[in-house]
Amino acid sequence: MTTSISPPDTVPEEKAAPHRMPFWVNQRLGLLVLVIALSVLFGVLRPAFLDQQLVLFPLLRDVATLTVVALAQMVALSVGHMNLAVGRMAAFGAMFAGLGYDRLGVPMQVGLLLCLAAGAAIGAVTGWLIARTGVSSFVVTLAMDFALLGLVSLLYSSLTDDAAFTTHPSGIDALRSYSLADICAGPICGSPAVPQIAQFTVLAMLALGFLYGCTRIGRELLLTGANPAAAELSGIPTGRRVLLAHTLSGLLAALAGFMAAAGTGTFRASIGDDFMLPSFLGAVLGGTLLTGGVVSVLGTLLGTALVGVIRKGLDLLGVGLESLNIYLGCVLLLALSADRIRTVVSYRKVVRST
Amino acid sequence: MNRLNALRGQGSWGGEAVRRFSRSTAAMLLCVVVAGYVALGVASSGSFFEGPSVRVFLQYLATPILIGLAQMVALCVGQLNLAVGALGGFIACLMGVLMADHGMPAGVAVIVGLLTATAIGLATGVAIVGTQINGFIVTLATMTILLGAQYRLTGTRTVDGYSRTLRDFGTAAPLNIPLVFVTALVAAALLAAFMYRTVAGRRLLAAGGNPLAARLSGISTDRQIVAAHTLSGLLIGVAAVTATASLPGVNRSVGGDWLLPSFAAPIIGGVALTGGSIAVLGTVLAAFVTRLIDAARAQFSLDPSWVNLLIGLVVLGTVAGGRLHQTRLEKSATTDGAVLPQSGGAQ
Amino acid sequence: MSGTVLLACEDLVKVFPGVRALDGVGLRLTAGSVHALLGENGAGKSTLIKVLTGVHSPDGGRLTWNGQQVHLRSPLEATRTGIGVVHQERNLIPGFSVAENITLQNPPSHRGLVDREAMTAPAVACLAELGVDLDPQRPVRELSVAQQQLVEIAKALYTESRVLLLDEPTASLSPQETERLFEVIRRLADRGACVVFVSHKLEEVFAVCDTVTVLRDGKSVLESSPLPDHTHDDIVGLMVGRAHAATEMRPRTVDRSTTPTLVLDKVSTAGGHRDISLEVRPGEIVGLYGLVGAGRSELVKAVLGLDRVTGGEIRVHGSPVRITSPRQALHEYGIGYVTENRKEEGVFLEQPIVRNITVTVWKRLAKALGFVSAREERDVAQDLVDRLGIRVSGLGQNAGELSGGNQQKVSLAKWLAADTRLLVVDEPTVGVDVRTKRAFHELIWDLARDGLPILLISSDLAEMVTLADRIVVMRDHRIRGELDNDRDYDRMSDRVIRLIHDRDTVRS
Repeated sequence: MTTSISPPDTVPEEKAAPHRMPFWVNQRLGLLVLVIALSVLFGVLRPAFLDQQLVLFPLLRDVATLTVVALAQMVALSVGHMNLAVGRMAAFGAMFAGLGYDRLGVPMQVGLLLCLAAGAAIGAVTGWLIARTGVSSFVVTLAMDFALLGLVSLLYSSLTDDAAFTTHPSGIDALRSYSLADICAGPICGSPAVPQIAQFTVLAMLALGFLYGCTRIGRELLLTGANPAAAELSGIPTGRRVLLAHTLSGLLAALAGFMAAAGTGTFRASIGDDFMLPSFLGAVLGGTLLTGGVVSVLGTLLGTALVGVIRKGLDLLGVGLESLNIYLGCVLLLALSADRIRTVVSYRKVVRST
Repeated sequence: MNRLNALRGQGSWGGEAVRRFSRSTAAMLLCVVVAGYVALGVASSGSFFEGPSVRVFLQYLATPILIGLAQMVALCVGQLNLAVGALGGFIACLMGVLMADHGMPAGVAVIVGLLTATAIGLATGVAIVGTQINGFIVTLATMTILLGAQYRLTGTRTVDGYSRTLRDFGTAAPLNIPLVFVTALVAAALLAAFMYRTVAGRRLLAAGGNPLAARLSGISTDRQIVAAHTLSGLLIGVAAVTATASLPGVNRSVGGDWLLPSFAAPIIGGVALTGGSIAVLGTVLAAFVTRLIDAARAQFSLDPSWVNLLIGLVVLGTVAGGRLHQTRLEKSATTDGAVLPQSGGAQ
Repeated sequence: MSGTVLLACEDLVKVFPGVRALDGVGLRLTAGSVHALLGENGAGKSTLIKVLTGVHSPDGGRLTWNGQQVHLRSPLEATRTGIGVVHQERNLIPGFSVAENITLQNPPSHRGLVDREAMTAPAVACLAELGVDLDPQRPVRELSVAQQQLVEIAKALYTESRVLLLDEPTASLSPQETERLFEVIRRLADRGACVVFVSHKLEEVFAVCDTVTVLRDGKSVLESSPLPDHTHDDIVGLMVGRAHAATEMRPRTVDRSTTPTLVLDKVSTAGGHRDISLEVRPGEIVGLYGLVGAGRSELVKAVLGLDRVTGGEIRVHGSPVRITSPRQALHEYGIGYVTENRKEEGVFLEQPIVRNITVTVWKRLAKALGFVSAREERDVAQDLVDRLGIRVSGLGQNAGELSGGNQQKVSLAKWLAADTRLLVVDEPTVGVDVRTKRAFHELIWDLARDGLPILLISSDLAEMVTLADRIVVMRDHRIRGELDNDRDYDRMSDRVIRLIHDRDTVRS
């Protein structure tokens, strides 16, 4: 006989359909509305905000990169873990691409593949460690973060003169500056605001959306996060799924590193230095649960977009870079408090109706 | 096929093994420290044992000890404090700016710094308990806010025109033992006394060791979490004071590299991540070990990045080794079997 | 002093989302008595205890202490009022000593500093009251479960509890330890306390208690009545709700000559099992009976590969196997396990029902690139929802929103969806209302009729006698004996209990 902390559940009669939250409380919709509303607001306050080439293009390029970072975190969160080393894994992967371009002169696609392979490998090592030893992902990825910090710096200083690989194929420059405006179907060209580099983000989103929405493995990942013990007993190979999640996380982090490097044109050790906070912000604001079991690919994009719009808007309004972080931290706290309030309110509603 | 073996939620009763391990951890660390010290002394042809070297060695040991203790206090109630570096840096810059830009005397600035640090710790604890949001996220948010605040205070400059008194304190070293190091040791001793001897400290440990049992005995776990974060804040404040005193100047990068060492020391020192245990001696010795690694790097003129790499690997090795050690012990004894995986997130 | 009503409650109501856990409970606890609190799993005993100890506040009704109405807002207030409790799970601080745990609520201190010497005397005194001799300086994690329990009772003494609630105290105790506990209980009652004994072991209740309250479906169907006025059957009848007999089912025959689907041959495990032998044939329901702590679920988990099998052989369909994971058990051998703790291990509370049910068949449904058709998924899930009669508002509803009975059905559904060839069912009707319990029994019976071999683990003897063809009795990780079930409850319960308590093992 077991005692459970949760309430016992005898009901003499079945309950009617439980209360469903009203449609407009849907998190994704709320985020979308916020993003649009804030963009409009900033556009009104500073018309320069809506400048497609000078403002929106770099903004969307940043959002594209950070969304991939947030997706990397989302994948780790999906199994109930976290990846504190997203930044360093990005730098690690990017380093291999840079190495390939600089020393081996490989074409752009091969460099990208090297980068992704390196990210996947380091993610796999992390996942293997976590699955094998059962140590919390927090500690393992934190330690991995610092080990990589040291390793990447060491490798850069031993392989290069000034801690950066600068040689790269012209494809990288194209990635950095091309936008949809360069793609024309007849007389109609795309908007100059949408960067070409966003193609990676779209691909990643489609792939993950397919994985989590339509495939067996995606579902098994989510259930591993929702309840690892039940998952194991239901026949899910939780150890392998955890390994897969971390491998994917590493791969996505590496992709983000590549995108960041393409964005600046050089491959250096400092790539990914400030990836950690945005990775959590985007994922959590978008509705991915810290405890695992629920993810939202679209929400991650919207969450990152929201943060990006706030950043850029405040920047244009003259709010210093320093204060930005202060506001962002407060936004995170407020958003999560609002979520808690929502949960409490819905709990009370159900109790009253019983 | 090897099985996952995870720590059960409430400090497993097979923790006899863990306790033996931590006691032996302190002993083992002591051996490592002594051996490492001797090895370095030999490698430097004796110059490592000389006065100035000892002084430098111990000088930069003060901050790691204090931040390790600060994190240990949070860990003991099962919390994590990601804002260790950011808070430390912010307080250091605050004190620096108050002294240099506003001419505040050192004593007053130090008191302001300590009080602010404690207050921020208190606010963090209250936020965690009040919003019931995971401590990881809350301290992530406060870390971000404080980083921004730190930048706001100093901008891109380095503040260095501050009080002679504090500087002297920072460099003073009677008998080649730096005063800042003594401060750290005193703080460690006071913390140990607090934890082992005072009612308040025992309450903290009880709340971490078995939150339900503590609650049933009238100990409010919420209050203990707030207390832990407040105490953690105070210790970070002291760390900021020692940093401000020993560094040539403060700028926005102070505290930037405090986060891992703050975890490394307690983890290597044998503190359980699930809460309920502390190891003051182990943490202090572990800080010694990390400092030795740093000194070795300097001795052999290696790139500073080697330190990060090595410490990261040592932490990984410690936790992995600890878990495997426990697994082996459990396998040899009779257990109640079921080795289902547990959630592997923040805790 | 004896005879004073210490704690009384009237019409207590407690509501949780979707559940009325307590629906009008009344109780009178008098000094000097040992009061039994009985009820099936899910009848409301745990919730009542939580209300009496200040963990939950009631949503209706009143509580009085010594005649005065009280509002217990926290466990601390309850303790200060004089209500102590010893839970099923140990509630001690592992790193602290015996003395420190006993005095935890009010440690002797001097100006904020803990006074360790002054702790020893009161701790030793409390232990002496119970007739127990333990070293007060020993860390509590080094003690046995029985000793830890006594430390907890000493702790309640220290806080001067007048009412002491013991929740399933003998669950993991040996007979000698149980006897010692009974002596302690009698001593406490003689001192003028009221001991509330919560248990499902009727033999023990009749041995040590003098008053009884029975809960059923959140109501008190028998309130504070003298125990000698009732027979064993009266009580069970009140707990179950109707004239109780092993329920009649449609006849079913078992072919004893077929190859058993599962055979355990002198199996030992790292968990302490020794020499376990049993077999389950197609269409047969083999019951594995035992008290809590007998090691039944642990045995199954070892068979599924979650613990090491250190000796003996396991055979599936006649061939020896080495199962290393539940995944292998399911996909290679078709073994399904409906777990005991559905909330922790059986059901994904925050996931929709369709996922809960189809988790075992995704591998089968998956096409290229692992794609699973949502429509096929829903078809499978809907089919099972209809078959098992699960009351849901939609397949997308989260499993956590269902009632206990329906959750249990969901927990079972996923194995049926996977067309398992052997089903292990562990405590299927815990926390399930009576009507669903009956439906479950019919379901299990029908599954066996259709040829599915079933290994049924249950601590509910009536359920066992209703369903099982053979009853294997386990105790302390060993098999005490095996009995053919003649479906006569009184006879079978007698034989089973004798097997559990006797020295010699019997195989019939």
